[in-house]
Amino acid sequence: MRLNIIGLLFGIAFGGVLAASNLHEYDTIHAMLRLDEFDVFWFMASAIAVSAPLLYLLERRGMNTPFGGELSLSRSMPEKHHLQGGALFGIGWAIAGTCPAPALVMVSSGAVLGLVAIPGIFLGLHLRERQQQSDQHVGDGEHRMAVTADH
Amino acid sequence: MFDVLPDRLAWYTGGPILGLLIVGLFVVANQPLGASGAYVQTSGLIRRRSDVVVWRVWYFVGLFVGGLLVTQVFREGAEIRSGYDAMRDVFPLWATIPLVFGGATLLGYGAAVAGGCTSGHGMCGTAQRSPASMAVTATFMATAILTTFVLRIATGGDL
Repeated sequence: MRLNIIGLLFGIAFGGVLAASNLHEYDTIHAMLRLDEFDVFWFMASAIAVSAPLLYLLERRGMNTPFGGELSLSRSMPEKHHLQGGALFGIGWAIAGTCPAPALVMVSSGAVLGLVAIPGIFLGLHLRERQQQSDQHVGDGEHRMAVTADH
Repeated sequence: MFDVLPDRLAWYTGGPILGLLIVGLFVVANQPLGASGAYVQTSGLIRRRSDVVVWRVWYFVGLFVGGLLVTQVFREGAEIRSGYDAMRDVFPLWATIPLVFGGATLLGYGAAVAGGCTSGHGMCGTAQRSPASMAVTATFMATAILTTFVLRIATGGDL
């Protein structure tokens, strides 16, 4: 229950930052990928520049998290599927000019074509899921374990 | 509604805030702030799977609500529109719809194969210093820029 509220709040905050930065607009992503404007690259780089050192320090201190046990980062080596998936993702990202989180904000900003993008993303994820008995937690990115319930 | 936010937050404000959010979710729940996983769990809920990670569904809902708050409440309030202005300048609507749908399907499929998207691998994975995430990120940046230039050439420089 409490974890659900935390999930909701982090979603609101993330969605809010994306919207405030106009990352839900096709034109923003398109200008970035045309290399006309570097703001989004700097946005991503500064997010990483802030989070990477903090995560490093917190992990080294062996921080205990309220819902997920001891903070543990995950690092794996690249495999073929990472490169294949990344390549396809990039092509789709360039064509659709959006990705999973901004597509939701696109709809809440009133852009109706977001309602075309979201079912497409669902379909793509689903097609892969059907191909293989995939891991339940596919799509979160790098992490060791999923937290499903309150501790 | 209230119009208290600037038209666009500068990257040096938005980026660091997002960085703190990434750290925040690790500090609270030891989890990455990835978005495609939230889609997977939401579709699991719709299909009534029993092993759904429910908080990721709330996270999915939150993304939508956060966008709503910023675009409709803290700003002037955006009207209903098609979106995709730059694409609509080049293509008619009947061509834009399949392009958007096809691109979105491709990126969803790619995210599932790679195990994450711009948030899960691009930012959270890279922030964890994961070589796999860095490889995914470098790959999708390269193919996305390449695809954009191919589209640009194919449309005679219009898109």
